Amino acid sequence: MSGEVAMQFSSVGFRYQIPNPKWYNPFQKRQGPGISHIDLTVLKGKIVGLVGTNGAGKTTLLRIISGVLPLSEGEISKDGEILSKEALRSMVGFMPEQVRWSGQQTVRNTITEFALLRGCSIQSAVDILSVVGLKNRADTSLQSLSQGMRQRLSLGVALLGAPDVLVLDEPFNGLDPVAMDAFKRLLRSLAASGIGIVISSHHLTELGHLVDTLALLHQGQLLAQGTTETLQSKLGFEDITELILDRTMSDDLLTMLDVLESEEIENGHRYILQSSDPKLLQLLVEEKHQIFTWRVVPPTLIELLCSATGLDRTSIGMDVEHSNMIPLRNLGGEEE
Amino acid sequence: MKPSRRMMLLAYRLGRNRLFSTRMLIMLPILLLFIPGMAWGFADPNIQLPDNQIPENATETMFLASIGIVFAGTMAAVLIAHDGISKDRLSGVLEVRLTQPMERWRQSMVLVLGHWMSIAIPVILMITLSMILVGYRSDMWISLTDALVFNVAAMLILLWYTVFGLLASSVAKEQGSAIAFSIGLWFLFTLLWVLFTTLLAALNGVAVGDTQDQSYLVFEGRLDLLSPNGVYHHLLETRIDGVERGVTNLISYLAAVVWTVAPLYLFQKRVNRLVP
Repeated sequence: MSGEVAMQFSSVGFRYQIPNPKWYNPFQKRQGPGISHIDLTVLKGKIVGLVGTNGAGKTTLLRIISGVLPLSEGEISKDGEILSKEALRSMVGFMPEQVRWSGQQTVRNTITEFALLRGCSIQSAVDILSVVGLKNRADTSLQSLSQGMRQRLSLGVALLGAPDVLVLDEPFNGLDPVAMDAFKRLLRSLAASGIGIVISSHHLTELGHLVDTLALLHQGQLLAQGTTETLQSKLGFEDITELILDRTMSDDLLTMLDVLESEEIENGHRYILQSSDPKLLQLLVEEKHQIFTWRVVPPTLIELLCSATGLDRTSIGMDVEHSNMIPLRNLGGEEE
Repeated sequence: MKPSRRMMLLAYRLGRNRLFSTRMLIMLPILLLFIPGMAWGFADPNIQLPDNQIPENATETMFLASIGIVFAGTMAAVLIAHDGISKDRLSGVLEVRLTQPMERWRQSMVLVLGHWMSIAIPVILMITLSMILVGYRSDMWISLTDALVFNVAAMLILLWYTVFGLLASSVAKEQGSAIAFSIGLWFLFTLLWVLFTTLLAALNGVAVGDTQDQSYLVFEGRLDLLSPNGVYHHLLETRIDGVERGVTNLISYLAAVVWTVAPLYLFQKRVNRLVP
């Protein structure tokens, strides 16, 4: 990974305190789920995508990055200097998942209020409304805003004070495809201006097209971080090839190949193969096959996640009860 | 802009929003009825009070009318502040606020000052109106010092209840619990405290309810230091002659300082540890 580091996370961890009432102390608490030993690098001008199942710890990590939750282990640094909570908050702009802005207050008043909280000029706050496309809605009351406009306002607030790192939790929720496209273009232009962006989303397709690197989170731990290509290689993915031929392949050829899927289609046969070996093309030509489609299919984010976690496609999405707990391992404290 | 100036500006904006809110519009008639309304009633030259008490000057009339502040003013403070944090927590705005670089203690002061201002302004206006009404009706005018003490004491009790409301709001995860906690506290100090005092007095062998019994008055006076309403009345009594409830003026002032500092400190600590 090359580029200027905007922020570095080393062995970062946090565990929630959950109620554990006892007869002698009804308010007793114990350590609950959380995240542990996260090493993450955010580069300037790059977009990091956080991917994980429900309860994997994405929001917890984002809250730590934005200084809402305290660190119980590890450190966050920039240029080798450990950042205090206040320094962290002034460097990071945070857009939480679905802020329900409401009330009679106008958009202009709201962003001005947050400019005061942030310590930046009121004029710069009003200018940000143009960046997020709310300039014409500046005098609209919050309760009249649509969901997409609320998301834009949240992004505007996160952009106040020119943060080095932008942290976005599920920013595509509630956006229509047009708004989503505009949002993605805006994020790309922000990244191009040098802001490091950390983004968590369940819209895996959208995320896949947007991010430069991916961080796979599962059960509170970071399984891997890198570009899609790096992760494919780390996780042992070989290229998958989609092939549409005029007829079925001979048995000799089929025994040589690792066929994942095979189906008869109109005017031909479709194969999904775990290989993109160029020799295959030569063999198909020798057998006088007509090749309609030859396409190398990269693994989807779901496949990467399944491969990294060892879970299958069905259970990875539904096994919330299991996945929202840190796995049993020695974390230097009591275990659940 | 200096952080302290930003803090004051934010508090002003919050106070202004709350002052012109629908909730305040609903509470204003109640405040009008209880504060100037009571002053008007107690200023009646032919008033009949228990034990044939007759207010001898405007300060005593205002002291009697202060019950309006204890009932309506404190209730309004609690109702204004009870969702100061919980509403933002529910909508997700709290999370955005907590990520801002302004120190948490400053953010907590913004909340306290803003909510306090929104209730203090109408109450000050109504106390002033009450004083004018008392002077107009009984031809007895309150001295400037007494007027100042009355206003300062009223501001203090409103501050205490505002902080109670905000504390409840910071603890509660939703609106229902916040209002139950705040109103519960108001109910305890405003209504149940009398029961608590008489119960404890009875257990200690004091002649309960006998307002002429000095030992009961002293017992009640001392126990009142544990209640914000009691301390408020002790502060007002510093300007009334002939009141002997076993509490010196200095102790009343000290109790007021403790009731101001302790909840503010607790609230500031609470905001420091606040998570969305």
